[in-house]
Amino acid sequence: MKKKLNPQTRKSFITYGLLLIVFIAVEILLKTGSISSMLQGLLVPICVYSILAVSLNLTVGILGELSLGQAGFMCVGAYASAIFSNLVKDSITQPVLRFTLAIFIGGIVAAIFGILIGIPVLRLRGDYLAIVTLAFGEIIKNVFAALYIGYDSAGLHISLKSQGDLGLKPDGKMIINGALGIGGTPNDSTFEIAFVILFISVIIIYNFIHSRTGRAVMSIRDNRIAAESVGLNITKYKLITFALTAFLAGVAGVLYSHNFYSLQASKFDYNLSILVLVFVVLGGIGNIRGSIIAAAVLTLLPELLRSINNYRMLFYAVILIVMMICTSNETIRTFFIRNFQKLKGLIIKNKSGSETVKEAE
Amino acid sequence: MALLEVKKLGISFGGLRAVDEFSIKIEKGELYGLIGPNGAGKTTVFNLLTGVYKPTDGSITLDGEDITGRNTIQINKAGIARTFQNIRLFHNLSVIDNVKVGLHNHYKYSSGTGVFRLPKFFKTEKEMNKKALELLSVFDLDKEAYLPASGLPYGKQRKLEIARALATQPKLLLLDEPAAGMNPNETAELMNTIRSVRDNFDMTVLLIEHDMSLVSGICERLSVLNFGQLLCEGKTSEVLSNPEVIKAYLGD
Repeated sequence: MKKKLNPQTRKSFITYGLLLIVFIAVEILLKTGSISSMLQGLLVPICVYSILAVSLNLTVGILGELSLGQAGFMCVGAYASAIFSNLVKDSITQPVLRFTLAIFIGGIVAAIFGILIGIPVLRLRGDYLAIVTLAFGEIIKNVFAALYIGYDSAGLHISLKSQGDLGLKPDGKMIINGALGIGGTPNDSTFEIAFVILFISVIIIYNFIHSRTGRAVMSIRDNRIAAESVGLNITKYKLITFALTAFLAGVAGVLYSHNFYSLQASKFDYNLSILVLVFVVLGGIGNIRGSIIAAAVLTLLPELLRSINNYRMLFYAVILIVMMICTSNETIRTFFIRNFQKLKGLIIKNKSGSETVKEAE
Repeated sequence: MALLEVKKLGISFGGLRAVDEFSIKIEKGELYGLIGPNGAGKTTVFNLLTGVYKPTDGSITLDGEDITGRNTIQINKAGIARTFQNIRLFHNLSVIDNVKVGLHNHYKYSSGTGVFRLPKFFKTEKEMNKKALELLSVFDLDKEAYLPASGLPYGKQRKLEIARALATQPKLLLLDEPAAGMNPNETAELMNTIRSVRDNFDMTVLLIEHDMSLVSGICERLSVLNFGQLLCEGKTSEVLSNPEVIKAYLGD
């Protein structure tokens, strides 16, 4: 007995399959040493950006609210987990256990911030979420840039003024050194771990969308008044979605902070939030697979264009604009789809003549 | 005891008295019509009954339970479901998912169960699918179940809205101009649908309508609203021949 998959399930399984294929291909290339060290350094960031993009797509595409604070949640997750890892670096030496804990801590702290922001803002209609998340991202960045945390035998010391203000004893150690950020975080995230987390994130998001909760969220997006009329608690579902987005952004932050030896708050600026939004818009709002592709392509692009160094950003901008036109302009899109189908028809024809007839019918 | 009892309901928007001293009593299983000229306040009455607006005075009792001043969600849970004058479907969801959203509060599992695909997810989803298809087949929509709701023709969108409202398992169904924009054939079909809903689901229906063929065809009793006030009520044939009502519609 063959069970027929419904179209939603099929779509998600195609994405899982594509991800696995790409992973295996990259692994083979890594093993054979045919990836430059420059590109190798980009593998974890690509996973990080993909997680950021798919999780933002949950808020922008599925919930239909604009959030500009993705970098802020990522920053919270990155710092929370980096502080944790630095504190337990000596007591928990098992890297897998330490990193698993770090991931949960980063994600949960970010989710708590998401809920705290969401409770007042998600009750409102309109652009308030965009405004508040934008402010949140900037505030978080600046607070962390001014934060000094150290510890010694007397315990934790926190200051917002300077390193000297902490009054550490000689045996003390700095954890966060203001604008210099956090140094010495154990490099626990590898491409394999980052990929596994990306994969799990995608599964979580697909399962979330195709469940009772996801249906409720999408119905709120489509028609708020009707959703209320069938008895849906609007604020609750908005909050759940937003918290999940923040959680995954926090997890991305954990991967990010454990990928580099040092971490500065200035990296989590407004541009990063906008960049992630660009991934989502170019990949297609509500399209999970598209978000990953856009994140990967646009992260690789500046590196691939490095050979034409001076014109790099020019080309990047041109490609962005072309992609934007191709994905949003109806005429051009149908042109591409039609030609793609023609191409597909040609390939099938070459394989066997009789199948094409079937296809045409 | 009446299923719905509204006493001296009123609401003011600033200085405008949109609905004033409106009372209505609907028995279980009745097909009741609310008519009146444009701007008489019919939709406002619906919005008051479903909690979109809070009444400034008066009381609403559903099946012995006082529901005055509750919000839309609480009122839906208490047992009133509605459709809208301008169709409000979840356009990007499939037809069956529209109905499943309606079933939301009756088939439950947590978000975690959904994300981690625990056994309860599959069990509940299966039950929901079965129930939703059952409902859709009543409205002859089961063949379109997996199409997007926005792709349905107008008449079927109206039906889907009724199906979604019924999925919330209400005691009272409010239909706001169900025949608006329909041709005579579609209206005739709709009349049969509404009648079968009442008979099959043992439902009580209150509807607003301008189409007199539909009103005289299926409503057993009518209330007439004019300038926010109750003009008269009674059996359909009596109300429609009342000179006051004819005057309200046609002028002097």
